[in-house]
Formats: sequence, structure tokens, C-alpha cells
Amino acid sequence: MAKHPLQMTINGKPVDAVDIPDDLPMIDYLHEYNNLTGSRLGCGQGICHACVVIVDNPDGTSEEVRTCITGAHYFAGKKIRTIEGHAKRDEQGVVTELNPIQLRFVDEFAFQCSYCAPGFVNAATVLVEKLQRQPVAKSQLEQVIEDSLGHHICRCTGYVRYYSATRNVLSDLGLVKEG
Amino acid sequence: MKHLLTRITLAVGLAAPLLQAQADDQVERGEYLTRAADCMACHTAPGGAPFAGGLAIESPFGIIYGTNITQSKEHGIGLYTDDEFFAALTEGKRRDGANLYPAMPYTSYHLMPREDSDAIHAYLKTVAPIERDAPETSLSFPFNVRLGLTAWNLMYADDLQLKPAEDKSEAWQRGQYMVEVMGHCGECHTPRSATGAMEVDKHLSGGLLNGYLSPSLLADDLANRGWNHQDLSTFLKHGMSSQGTMFNEMYPVFHNSTQFLDDKDLAAMATYLLGDTPPAAKVVETRTLDDLNDSAKRGHQQYLNVCAGCHAPEGEGKPHIAVAMRGNTTVRLDDPRNLLRVIEDGIDEQQFSGFERMQPMPGFADKLDQTQLTDLLNYLRQRWGGQTGELAVSDVQKLQADKSDTHSKAD
Repeated sequence: MAKHPLQMTINGKPVDAVDIPDDLPMIDYLHEYNNLTGSRLGCGQGICHACVVIVDNPDGTSEEVRTCITGAHYFAGKKIRTIEGHAKRDEQGVVTELNPIQLRFVDEFAFQCSYCAPGFVNAATVLVEKLQRQPVAKSQLEQVIEDSLGHHICRCTGYVRYYSATRNVLSDLGLVKEG
Repeated sequence: MKHLLTRITLAVGLAAPLLQAQADDQVERGEYLTRAADCMACHTAPGGAPFAGGLAIESPFGIIYGTNITQSKEHGIGLYTDDEFFAALTEGKRRDGANLYPAMPYTSYHLMPREDSDAIHAYLKTVAPIERDAPETSLSFPFNVRLGLTAWNLMYADDLQLKPAEDKSEAWQRGQYMVEVMGHCGECHTPRSATGAMEVDKHLSGGLLNGYLSPSLLADDLANRGWNHQDLSTFLKHGMSSQGTMFNEMYPVFHNSTQFLDDKDLAAMATYLLGDTPPAAKVVETRTLDDLNDSAKRGHQQYLNVCAGCHAPEGEGKPHIAVAMRGNTTVRLDDPRNLLRVIEDGIDEQQFSGFERMQPMPGFADKLDQTQLTDLLNYLRQRWGGQTGELAVSDVQKLQADKSDTHSKAD
């Protein structure tokens, strides 16, 4: 397979252009070329969503993209965030502070085996950022959470805790309005 | 006298079960024919009670709602006699004498014999009444004047006629009836004139429905897209074959109708469509990357980026996930409309017989720009579709702009 240079921004840092096989799936690019192994290869066919990363669009919106079924070259020139990019770290790279979503998920024991957790954290992050642009009415909250997290699969069946933690973090951040 | 009474008692006792058995046979046959005629597709709303109506059918003249054909005397057809039912089915006449809109395919059903109509009616009489009115169809003037259809009916209602069959096999003749009358396939697969009538001189040569092409079912066209007798029968029975899966408007046709047809009838339909002496199914060789033009070469990268994860890098597909691109009938269509629509709109998760499933396909309308879409179309069509021509961005723009419910074959 032919190779071509690929450049993108991952977790705020430009990644140098190196030759990448044209058919390399994005998840392999993250794992094998960038040592970012937090994105999980689950089903490998785009259903479980454990592998999603966040793409930051030029218009200021963000979205999830599945990396197991999307080629690395699709992300050429794009800005992406992975699970490794959420927490604050010190100069040695050690995590010093979780972001509010991670913290809530940990506090509420939202995940058990954790295999699906990177996907859920990214999905909840995209939801938070969406609601920061347009808060949701309380009456719509459950539906919005379902629409945002419903396609993620947790084989430990931790959905109740994931949804509860997400509900609480949205309230903590003042993203739910009366109505 | 005693002997006579005994004989009468015996005769009545024997005759009653026989009549009941005949009636049961008629209902059973009627259920099969109701499936074959696919009454449920238009007379059942999504998630609604069977035959209770309410499905919104988009037409170039406005939205027409499928009616309640359960046994409700107030909202359904509970008061219809067999004569009145036959008139509705074959002449488009309501019990009160008003004209039905030709969304009801009496333009095909008019060739149905009385005994089949009676059997369908006998079956529908066993369906529980649903006491609910379907939404009233309300077209704009002049299409709301049902009387106006009288002239339309005089001109077009019986345009469709069966083809001479003297030198045809029994299977071909049965297939003609199943395809043309019961299945009323021509209603979608035939172009329509500005008046909404089927252009019978272009019968089965393809039509347009809700922005998608209903492909040509002519034997040579089917063979050119790789169809043979076995695959066509399999496709109707299971909703899928090596040529792809039923999607869009054909998906409910599979669920409500074709999957229930017996193998003999399905084979007959394939015989009729392909002919007693079918043309050889054309095999399309995969073209090498070097053999592709520049746009298609760029499209190869688009394919690897967003398609290969499910359809596989070499286009062989993944079982239970996504269909193969190699040999795919939509990829092989001369008209790129359906391929573009599928890429833009995606396909919902599909369920087929035998617990077969296909994953949902996401739509890429907001993921790929017009140049990328054009490149991808060129790649798919040239690599696996046997197409040598190159689409321009303007071709894609033109197709994107034409999403109206066109009722005659465009372009």
C-alpha cells in the first residue's frame, strides 16, 4: 500500500508529517504511531463507539468520529482530541486534575471494566460543548442525553450510572435551564 | 322416512365441513395473495395496526394517505360487498361511487380475476376491525376533485395489458401475473407522464420515486447489472444477494410481500423478468488502480478514508455488516443517482430473514464536499461498476439539486 505524509493536531499539539499507509485505520495510527492507546478497539465495525475521538470543527463545533472504521488520512489537517487530552498534566506528563466529566464518572463509579469509558467521556464532552453553546431545558434533558450517549455500548451495563453522572455534571456546569 | 332423514342429516353433516374447508382455503389463498399484492405497504402506517391505514404517500400532486381497509364499518371497508371490493380493486371505485386516487394501483390490479379479488376480500374479512379513521387525503386544486379522475381513468386506467403468452412457458405466464398484476412492480419501475400515468410504451424501463431511481427491470438491463435467475429469486426471497440488499422503497416490499412468496412463484417472477431464455449476466472485472482516471484515483483515498472500514479495502464487503461493492447492482447502474443518494443519506439498520442483519450506514452529506463525492462516485463506478465515463462535479450538483419527487424518468 502506498504511503503519504499525514499531519494533524492531536490534543492541541501538531503532529509531524510522516508517511502513513493510505489504508491505515485511524485507531492504528493513534496506537502505533502516536502511542496514544486510550482509544479502545472494541467491535472494530463502528457499533460500540469505544474508539471515538473528538474532531474540533473550524466553526467551533465538535463531534465524535469512530476511529475503527475511519481511515487516518480522513483526519488530515484536522484538530482532534483523544481521551488522553482531557485531564491536566504536569511537566512530566503525570495527570494532576481530571476534567469535570472524568471526575463525575469516577466519583459515581460510572464504569466498571472501563473499556467503553473513553468513548463515553468523549461523547459526554461533545454534549457539554454543545450545551455550552445552547443550554437545554430540563424537560428535554433525558432525551438529549439519550441522543448523545445512546449509541455507546457498555457490556458491563453501566448505563444508569453513566447517564446519572452525565445528568449531574450538566447541572454542575449550569447547562440545564428550567422549563 | 327414517332412512331419508338419516341421509339428509348425513349429507348436511358432510357438506358443512366441506364448505368450511373451502372457505378456509379461500382465506388462506387470500392471505397469500394479499401478501403478493402488498396491500399492507400502503394501508399500514409505520408502527400502526395492520391495514388500518395512515401511511403518508408522497406524490407529485400532494400527500395521499393509505386508507383503513380493516372491517370497521365506519372507518374501514366492513360494509363492502364482494362486488364493491372488486370494483375498488380493479376500477378504483369507492363504495360511494367516488374515484380512488391512482396511488391505489388499480391500473395494475384491473387485470386481476374475480376469484383472486374475492379471496383477498375473504382474508381481509378476518382482520380485526380498527375503529380509527386514517388522515383524510387533501390535495390541492384541481387534484382534489375526484370526479376529474373519471376522464383520467377513461384515458389511462386500463393502459397496462398483459403481453401475449402463447409461446411462453407456464412459469413465464405465472410470473407475468405475479409481477405485473399482483406485485404491480411497473407502478414504480415505469416512468410516468406529466399526468401521472404510467408510460406503458416504456414499461418497466425504470422510474423515479422520492428522489431515488427505481431501476429498469428489462431483461437486458438486469443482465447488464449482473442479475441471473437464481440471484433474482434469492434477492426477492431473502432481501439480499451478492448484488446487494433491498433498501429504500424496496425494503418494506421485502418485509410485507416478497419474503412470503413461495419459491415457485419467486422463480416464476425471475423467469418473467429475465425471459424464458435469459440473457447472460454480465460479469464486471475489477479495474486496477492504475487504470482509473485522476478523479477516481483521488476517490480511492476517499473510499479508504470513510468506506473501507465496513465495505473492506478491496470492496468485498463484510458479512452481516456491509454489502460488497464488487458486483453491487447500485454501483453498476449507469445512472449515478442512487449511489449518490445512498452515500449522502445512508441506510438505517436492516433486518432480513433468518436473523440476518446489516449495520446502519451513516450518511455523508455533511462529511464529503461535492468534489470528494464526485471523486468517490467515479472511483466506485470505474473500479467495480464497469463504468468508463467520468462524472463531473456539475453532474453531482445537478443531481443534488434535483431532489423533487419527480414522477417521470429524468435526464
